[in-house]
Amino acid sequence: MRVSKRNHQIDMKSKRKILLVLLVLFLVIQFIRPPHNTTGQVLVTDLTRLLLVPDTVQAVLQNACYDCHSNNTIYPWYGNIQPMAWIIANDIKKGKAKLNFSEFSNYGNRMQISKLKEMANQVKDDEMPIAAYKLMHKNARLSQAQKLAIIEWIQKTADSLAVKN
Amino acid sequence: MKSKIHERKNSIKAFASKNIIISLVMGTTLAACNNSNNTVAQKDSIITNPEISKQVKKDTTGTAAPVMVPATEIIAGYLQLKNALAKDNGKDAATAGDGLVATLAKVDIKNLPEQQMKGYMDVADDIKEHTEHIAANPGKIEHQREHFIMLSKDMSDFIKTFGNGGQILYKDFCPMANDGKGAVWISEVKEIKNPYLGSKMPGCGSVKETIK
Repeated sequence: MRVSKRNHQIDMKSKRKILLVLLVLFLVIQFIRPPHNTTGQVLVTDLTRLLLVPDTVQAVLQNACYDCHSNNTIYPWYGNIQPMAWIIANDIKKGKAKLNFSEFSNYGNRMQISKLKEMANQVKDDEMPIAAYKLMHKNARLSQAQKLAIIEWIQKTADSLAVKN
Repeated sequence: MKSKIHERKNSIKAFASKNIIISLVMGTTLAACNNSNNTVAQKDSIITNPEISKQVKKDTTGTAAPVMVPATEIIAGYLQLKNALAKDNGKDAATAGDGLVATLAKVDIKNLPEQQMKGYMDVADDIKEHTEHIAANPGKIEHQREHFIMLSKDMSDFIKTFGNGGQILYKDFCPMANDGKGAVWISEVKEIKNPYLGSKMPGCGSVKETIK
C-alpha cells in the first residue's frame, strides 16, 4: 500500500516536470516568428486588374482563396501563436508557389489559361480550399451556386484569353 | 543384393541422363533468349543512333552554332507519356512525366538565341506545368488526361516553332475529348491509338496533319 502511494507521488512529480518543460518550450517558440505575408495593396499585376471579375466571383476569391494565393493574407487572431503561425506560413508558401493572384499578369498568356482551368478543376473536385482552411473559415465553405459561378466565370475567361493566344 | 545395387546404378544413370537432357534444353533456350534479346537491343540502338548523329551534325555545323532546343528529346518524352495514356497506364504516364520535366530542366535558357528565348519560355513553362501535374497523379488517369489536352496543344505549338526533331509526326484529333469539344494529340505512327480514351475506344479519332 505504501509502495503504491510512493509510486503515485513519483508519477505526479514527473508529470509536473513534463508539463513544465512543455510550457517553457511553448513560450520559447513564441519568439520564433515567420514574417507576415502582407503588402497592404492590390498590385497592378493582380488578377482583378487584368480580368473582368463579377462581384460574386470576386467575393469568393477574396474570402476563400486570397489568404493562401496572394501577397496579402488576412491573419486570424490565433495566427500569431506558434505553432499555428508556422503552419499558416507553410500553407501560404505552398499556395503562392502553385498560384499567386497578386502576380497573375506575370504569367504568360498560355499559363494564365492553364492556371484558370486548374482552378476550375480543383473547385469542381472539392480539392480547394483545403479542409483545414474551410474548418476555420466559414466563408470558405462554398455553396453549389458559388462553385458554379466560379467555374462558369473561369470557362468564359479562359475562352476569351485563348482567342488572344 | 546384386539386383538392388544394379537397380540403384540404373536409377542413378537415369537420373543423371535426365538432368543432362534438362540442362541442355534449358541451356539452349536461355541462349536463344539471350540471342533474341541481343538482336532487340541492337534494333533499339539502330533506331536511336540516327537521332543522336543528327543532333551531333546540327551541333557541329560550325556556323556559330547557336544552342539548340533539344526538340527530339522533348518530343520523345511526350510520346512516351502519350503511349502510356493510350495503354491506360497512369503510372507509366507519371514516370514519363518525370522524365520530361527532367529534360526541360536541362535546357540552358540563358544561351538560347534572343528570338527563340521568349517563344521557348512561354510554351516550355506550360509544358512543364502540365507534365508536373501528370507526374503527380499516377493514380488519377482522368485528371492526367485533362492536363494532356493542354499539354498536347502546347506540343503542337512547340513543334511549329522548334521542329519535329527529325521524325515524321502526325497531329491527331479526338472529337470526344475535352467534354466533347475535341482535343489534339501528336503521334509518331499513322495508326490511331487514342490516349484520351485508351482501351475504351482506341481507334477513335483521325489524322489532321502530317508534320514532315
